[in-house]
Amino acid sequence: MIYLENVSKIFESPRGRVEALKKVNFHAEKGEFVVMKGPSGSGKTTWLLSIGGMLQPTSGIIRMDGKNIYSMKENERTKFRASYIGFVFQLFYLIPYANVLENILLSGGLSGDAKKQERALELADNLGLMERLMHTPSELSTGECQRVALARALVHQPKLLLADEPTGNLDFENSLEVLKIIGHYHQQGGTVLFVTHTNIADSFASRTLHLKNGEIRE
Amino acid sequence: MIFNLIEKEIKFRKLNFILALSAMSFAVAFFVFFFTSNEASKRETIRLTRDMGFNLRIIPKETDMNKFWTTGYSEYTMPEDYVDRFWKFKDFSYAHITATLQKEIIWHNKEIILTGIAPEIDPAGRTAMAFRIEPGQVYIGYELAKEFKVHQEETIDILGKQFTIVKILSESGSTDDIRVYGALSEFQEILDMKGQINEIMALNCLCISPEEGDPLVMLREQLDQVLPEAKVVMNTTIANVREKQRYMLEEYFAVISACVVVLIAIWIGALAMINTKEREQEIGILRAIGHRSSKILGIFLGKALIIGFVSAILGYLLGSFLAVKFGSAIFKITASSIKPMYSLFAWSIIVAPSFSALSSFIPTIIAAIKDPAVIIKK
Repeated sequence: MIYLENVSKIFESPRGRVEALKKVNFHAEKGEFVVMKGPSGSGKTTWLLSIGGMLQPTSGIIRMDGKNIYSMKENERTKFRASYIGFVFQLFYLIPYANVLENILLSGGLSGDAKKQERALELADNLGLMERLMHTPSELSTGECQRVALARALVHQPKLLLADEPTGNLDFENSLEVLKIIGHYHQQGGTVLFVTHTNIADSFASRTLHLKNGEIRE
Repeated sequence: MIFNLIEKEIKFRKLNFILALSAMSFAVAFFVFFFTSNEASKRETIRLTRDMGFNLRIIPKETDMNKFWTTGYSEYTMPEDYVDRFWKFKDFSYAHITATLQKEIIWHNKEIILTGIAPEIDPAGRTAMAFRIEPGQVYIGYELAKEFKVHQEETIDILGKQFTIVKILSESGSTDDIRVYGALSEFQEILDMKGQINEIMALNCLCISPEEGDPLVMLREQLDQVLPEAKVVMNTTIANVREKQRYMLEEYFAVISACVVVLIAIWIGALAMINTKEREQEIGILRAIGHRSSKILGIFLGKALIIGFVSAILGYLLGSFLAVKFGSAIFKITASSIKPMYSLFAWSIIVAPSFSALSSFIPTIIAAIKDPAVIIKK
């Protein structure tokens, strides 16, 4: 499903040259739950964003279902990302002036108003957000914010979920809640790439990898 | 969805919206106020010019100008029906056209000027400016009335015909003080000059700018088309003063408006830039979850268009209100004719949103092409 061949990413800046990924090779099959662990600055987010079609590698190829995602045109890749991938981040990135339902519906991969609405409500119900549908993010707890972000990532039923430290801002109870939701998505056949610097997701993982100084270690 | 997002964002960041709206509304109001007032100023200039009297004198081409300026009228005559040729030209710089016959005679051993005036014609259909004298009636100049101790309602004899004095003219300090005004047809008859005139008086609106050329050259070109048998002289003193006054105002406006446009563009652009910076994460996540750059463009430009549209309405109302309220104090003569110009509303609705969108364009492009990965990695 996902193949990374000799993927390198180098950031050039006036302060110097940083090689965030060093000829990384990786593959994940459909339905896998891969946890990528590593300390801050190890290249985890760079790895995840590269797979997500948002950060073009300096060299190497990333294929998804046989397609080289960086050979696609920008708009084509955006469309692919919208339908194929769900993103969830540590900082939630919810739209502050939109309510819960609107935030969920913002997912770019949905089409058809009625279908969108139905799926969003179903997910909100499953994630315990029904009472909060008309609330804005500032009126929610951090746990609720992350559940909204998860609902937005899952509403279009993506094949791949990319999670960048989604429990990083949550207490243990909320972290577990989020992991259960992601686990449920995985059990239903979804593929998960989960980046973290803790051991919290180990029990959910079908495979755990380590990233250090831009290199993957089993 | 885009409109819903724009609406919610406006409500969420009210200050940014209000600041942009105020700036744009001020700019629109400024332009509406100026144009509305300037239109009144033009009307006032025309009215004042009119009140100063005719400024164009059309006389037979062969007139000796030395004699003309010495005697005050042309010794040559032309057929009265020449004046009818002006009817054919609607888009013309001559207004309030009046045929006259002037002749010096000796009356009670004094030199006086008889001036026969025909009813005024105006191809554009404006209200008559000159007085109309009915047959059997005359107006007497101030000096003559004083000299001969004649009064209103009195009957006098001029060259064997009886006339009733209907008005004693006030002192003018010009040859008007020794004139007797009457109906053209009657004066032609007593002077034995039937069907003849020696001058057509007219008014030029002074509507062309100095950049468009010398108004007298243009007037002469137009006269050559309609009446090649005549020539025109213009009271340029009046013309120059009026022209300078009006165009000075327009020049000031050109400078001020350029400054206003630049300042407002910078202000709107800066607010849009601040807004873009504030919404960096929002842009990043929208791009990450699969929204195209065009949608981001739509969100930002849509907001700019709404600001422009609302400003056009508010600015138009404010500018028109200020023009009507304070313009009437400035332009007293035409105060009652200062009215909102509805054509400016149409212009505001077109120009303000375009200007607002243009000013926000660079920040919008920056927003649309922002790399979501860079934002998220922050």
